[in-house]
Amino acid sequence: MAKLSWQEILGLIQELRKRGFQVVGPSSEGGVVKLVPLEDETKLETDYVRTLNSPKDFLLPDKERLFRYKSTATITSYGLKIRFPTVEGPCPITIVPEYSPPIGKLAFFGIHPCMANSIKYLDKVMLSDPADPYYKARRDGLFIAVLECAEGDEYCLCKSVGSDKVPKGYADLSIRKEGDDFIVKASSPMGSSLLMEESVEEIEEPSPKMKEEYVIDATDEKTIETKDPTTLLEGCTLCSSCTVVCPTCYCSDIQDRFSLMDPSNVERVRMRMSCQRRSYSSIAGNVLFLKTKNDRFKWRMKHKFPFSEKMYGMSGCVGCGNCIAFCPSRIDFRSFLGRRVA
Amino acid sequence: MSMEYNPFLPRPAIVNAVRDESLETKTLKLSLVKWRANFLPGQFVQLLLPGVGEAPFCITSSPSDSKHIELTIMRRGLVTNAAHYMRPGDAVGIRGPFGRPFPVENFKGRDLLLVATGIGIAALRSLILYIIENRKDFGDTTLLYGARFVEDLVYRDELRGWAEKINVIVTLSKPSERWNGLKGRVTDHLDAINLGKNSLAVICGSPAVMVSVAQSLIGKGLDPKDVYLSMERHMKCGIGKCARCMIPGGFLVCKDGPVFSASEISLEEVGE
Repeated sequence: MAKLSWQEILGLIQELRKRGFQVVGPSSEGGVVKLVPLEDETKLETDYVRTLNSPKDFLLPDKERLFRYKSTATITSYGLKIRFPTVEGPCPITIVPEYSPPIGKLAFFGIHPCMANSIKYLDKVMLSDPADPYYKARRDGLFIAVLECAEGDEYCLCKSVGSDKVPKGYADLSIRKEGDDFIVKASSPMGSSLLMEESVEEIEEPSPKMKEEYVIDATDEKTIETKDPTTLLEGCTLCSSCTVVCPTCYCSDIQDRFSLMDPSNVERVRMRMSCQRRSYSSIAGNVLFLKTKNDRFKWRMKHKFPFSEKMYGMSGCVGCGNCIAFCPSRIDFRSFLGRRVA
Repeated sequence: MSMEYNPFLPRPAIVNAVRDESLETKTLKLSLVKWRANFLPGQFVQLLLPGVGEAPFCITSSPSDSKHIELTIMRRGLVTNAAHYMRPGDAVGIRGPFGRPFPVENFKGRDLLLVATGIGIAALRSLILYIIENRKDFGDTTLLYGARFVEDLVYRDELRGWAEKINVIVTLSKPSERWNGLKGRVTDHLDAINLGKNSLAVICGSPAVMVSVAQSLIGKGLDPKDVYLSMERHMKCGIGKCARCMIPGGFLVCKDGPVFSASEISLEEVGE
């Protein structure tokens, strides 16, 4: 345990950078706090409740290229013409996998416990057999410094879903703010080497205070199915902002794309997909499984709670409250799945 | 990056032959270039058409030939339309095989009822060929196959050959006047089939049909865990990372399926 001043905290970030990490931390930009690669460590923000984005944006980018290949597509006067490559033809398929290695290893500095929980959830999804090689390449050697969260705002619910504590193994450093100073504890060998301390300590952290407390109990599939969210969703425009800002929404789409300027170079990209969109559940023959916004909202709730519990043994909701705070009409799922107690 | 197994990379295959099956369906026979597909009936692959995209298809050939696979493709969307323009010699990419196959070991010694509607028979063809090749291992086998018109019947030429080894019942729901065979939907003809204690059913078709057939079979006394359904979703990654193929109950069709027994999933919700 060490008591560090602001300058010494910034020194830690410089030290991480020296060790080859790309340091990502919260920074105030244009009125919102965002996780950004900290080129200037003095921009680090330590007094915040929520960030607009989450570690997901760095571990599982919105759009990433999986591989490239050559096709024989050409632009002709009557449009795009695709001739399939043949064995003896000039252009057999050559597939070039593309792992975009990060500029260094990733380090998250100053994220809250709920975000550390979200990394645990993404690990469970992406590293379960067979592991996703692209995620794994970015995840390996990840450094996490967790900043304790003193008090949440009116949208937070980490206590209600049990993610107010940092899961074991998901913090190398834990930082608590005390006045102008910071109490820093190392909880992994990597953390203690950074702090120049021998000992590794168990983190004991107080849970953040909540402005509003809820009991989330109606989380089994049947209960969600029988509830009617029509009045709750009156303001829903299906903008899918809730799934964009959610730190655990990982659904993706895989597409083959090429530029019309050069149609023979095709790239296979993985892009973020949202269950709020029509194309999420459509299959061949015009069959659509999630037809209305009620269906799609219920589907999101089911994926977060009963399905995640069943498949990965942990709640898919880490209680950050981003989906409520950044919803244009502040649709609040807490009252749908539970009740307010304080 | 190490050279570890990357399930996102397709492996090469060459179109060996193209067969017309019905008005809207074609079967592509693909020879795999320097690799083998070890699969069991019920598994699927992702077919990459260079420059077009990728879509999942059930393997319809027999698992005894691991150097070739056959895919039966109905014209519906972007990839399937392009697949109808494929000619022998064209190069494609294959990812897979993925998914949980039919538990064929448990099927041995049982009487089988296979129910298929429309293109759903494609998912069962691999199983039918497997049963015919190992005919002695399986009991009395009946295929009940429903389609709208004669022109919609897939594997029309093969059905006669199959009928020598297993019972084949074909029914048309919108037949022309020249049709002498059975008329009506598959659900109308379930009563004519004897189901014993040793019976087991495999169903593939549109979600609504699968559910109504499964429910009436269970109503006739079949154990729900002896009723198998082959589900369909648009699987994108094939390995459970994109969550696009999730079905009610929290199952991933690509990893936990596509074959489910009726005891595992809730029929009412899946049929919606």
